[in-house]
Amino acid sequence: MPSKVLTIRVIFAALVVLAFGYGIYEAVSYMYLAKIFPLYVCLAMFILSCINLVMEVRISWRQLDHSGVGFVDLESKWDMAMVEVLKRFCYFMGIVLVLYASISLIGYSLSITLFVIVFYRFITNTNWWVAIGAGLAGLGFISLISKLLVIDWPSGVLQNWISLPWPLG
Amino acid sequence: MDAALKSLGVIFDPSHFLMLILGVLVGLSIGILPGLGGIVGMSILLPIIYGMDPHTAFALLIGMVAVIPTSDTFPSVMMGIPGSSASQATIMDGYPLAKKGEAARALGAAFTVSLMGGLFGAAVLSVIVPIARPIVLAFGSPELFMLALLGLSMVGVLSGKRPIKGVLAAGIGLMIGALGDAPAVPEYRYTFGIDYLMDGIPLVIVGLGLFAFPEIVDLLIKGKAISEVATLGKGWLDGVKDALRHKFIILRCSMIGVIVGFLPGLGGSVVDWIAYGHVIQTTRDRENFGKGDIRGVIAPESANNAKEGGGLIPTLLFGIPGSGSMAVFLGGLLILGIQPGPAMVTENVDLLYTAIWSLALANVFGAGLCIFLSKPITRLTVIPFTYLAPFMILIITLASYQASRGWGDLIALLVMGILGWVMKQYGWPRPAALIGYVLSDNIETYLFISVQRYGLTWITRRGVIILALIIIASLVMGAFWQHKKAPRTGEDYAE
Repeated sequence: MPSKVLTIRVIFAALVVLAFGYGIYEAVSYMYLAKIFPLYVCLAMFILSCINLVMEVRISWRQLDHSGVGFVDLESKWDMAMVEVLKRFCYFMGIVLVLYASISLIGYSLSITLFVIVFYRFITNTNWWVAIGAGLAGLGFISLISKLLVIDWPSGVLQNWISLPWPLG
Repeated sequence: MDAALKSLGVIFDPSHFLMLILGVLVGLSIGILPGLGGIVGMSILLPIIYGMDPHTAFALLIGMVAVIPTSDTFPSVMMGIPGSSASQATIMDGYPLAKKGEAARALGAAFTVSLMGGLFGAAVLSVIVPIARPIVLAFGSPELFMLALLGLSMVGVLSGKRPIKGVLAAGIGLMIGALGDAPAVPEYRYTFGIDYLMDGIPLVIVGLGLFAFPEIVDLLIKGKAISEVATLGKGWLDGVKDALRHKFIILRCSMIGVIVGFLPGLGGSVVDWIAYGHVIQTTRDRENFGKGDIRGVIAPESANNAKEGGGLIPTLLFGIPGSGSMAVFLGGLLILGIQPGPAMVTENVDLLYTAIWSLALANVFGAGLCIFLSKPITRLTVIPFTYLAPFMILIITLASYQASRGWGDLIALLVMGILGWVMKQYGWPRPAALIGYVLSDNIETYLFISVQRYGLTWITRRGVIILALIIIASLVMGAFWQHKKAPRTGEDYAE
């Protein structure tokens, strides 16, 4: 019985097939000179991705070893079950999504400062003073970059309501 | 010769010298920050050079641009995050070395070969000036297309035991590169009605998403320091010795760097991959590549510094920028009232030599400073990653946002990051995807121009045939050594 990890492997391979299939479908509607490149790339890749999918299904079915397939890529090696890895991945993705949501609410500068403070306090487990110091260091850094590159960081709903001083506004 | 000596005297004038040092310091700072490259550095310095003496401004600008490929090695080696587009391939072996506690060794080797590559580039720039014109003109669109194909052929050696996944990953990269406006006609492709995608996804986001994001997430999941050993092991001096031991790799890869930098239009983003692929293809004992082979650091680092010397040739002599940072540099020249072109060799030859000397000196200072800094900075690799993670997330979001300064950048980073993480977990070679992305536009554009300009006769051009033979030879050589040195095992049967 294929494990969940191998199922994700197969699902990803299937998604690649679908992506190239969609690439062909979409490319057909383009003007001649715009479609040549994506159409031929997608056609070739669609065929290869179908072969790859069959191989992935076969490998999953037989539960063969996958180690080392990437050769010169920085493959992950885990000393924990893949299910645990996926759980933790979802946990950290959740943190990133919360960060994004807070950027849309209170703006980038304030969000990233609070993010650093909360991360240091509750994940790194430092005391409040170190966490606040790290947060202020982060704010100082993005303020410097903002000045040097003349960038206004994304503002949120809060900045639309209240006029905050730079660099929070 | 007189002009060369006169320019050397000018460079050592205190005000010029200080500007050179300032440029080097700015370049070092920008290179250390992932995602920021020469374009950002040039953009920061351009407002400063208004009204400046051209020699002084040259020292400042070239000082900055020369050391970015040196200092961008820090994030590539220590975090597995491409410091700039020039050091994407350095992570392949530099980061595994850092994981083994040999970051100082990797950095020592990288900075030594960066210095050598940079000096090689400066030397070539000084020699090639009189004969540059016919060489540059010999490279038309068909030859540039073939060079792009040569870059794409590196996918073969980066795909390991599962070539089909390598080719598919390159295909994914090619299609990501095809997003947005088509080069030949007014048509937007695969935009799904999203305005942000009309310009395509910027390189910095694809690079950070595919490499930086997955590394940060993986390190957080593991909850350990970057280095898997508590002590840092071999020091930078071992790296210097490694570099000196592989001088022929440095020479070959520096030549690759100069040639790719020299050719306008190909872009510097691919030079490190070509050098990395080349060193694997020409090496018999290749099983350690990707696991911390020092040659995998030496090859791309010597090439990316040599590229800067090569990139100045078309920029100064023809007014054709070879890369994005050179395009901004060109703007700087116009601000100074200097018209780049063949007249640089006759009327402004002293300025040309100022550029050459500045390039050489900046490489010396940059490499020296980096070697000096490498020991304390490598201590970061033994700090638990939860201390670094929030700042790394800050830096990658910041670097992504400056690409086009919209919410789309942040969302694209997240999407590319998830794609990169899944590819990493399930053995899809991300370097192949990045190479495909980088070359996508070049391949399509140059093929289109070649067919429009020459019909099918472009295939019969001498340069095209030579490059085709080089591609075939490199593929055959790569396949031969892979077959000979990496026999299939029972476990690989299914692959």
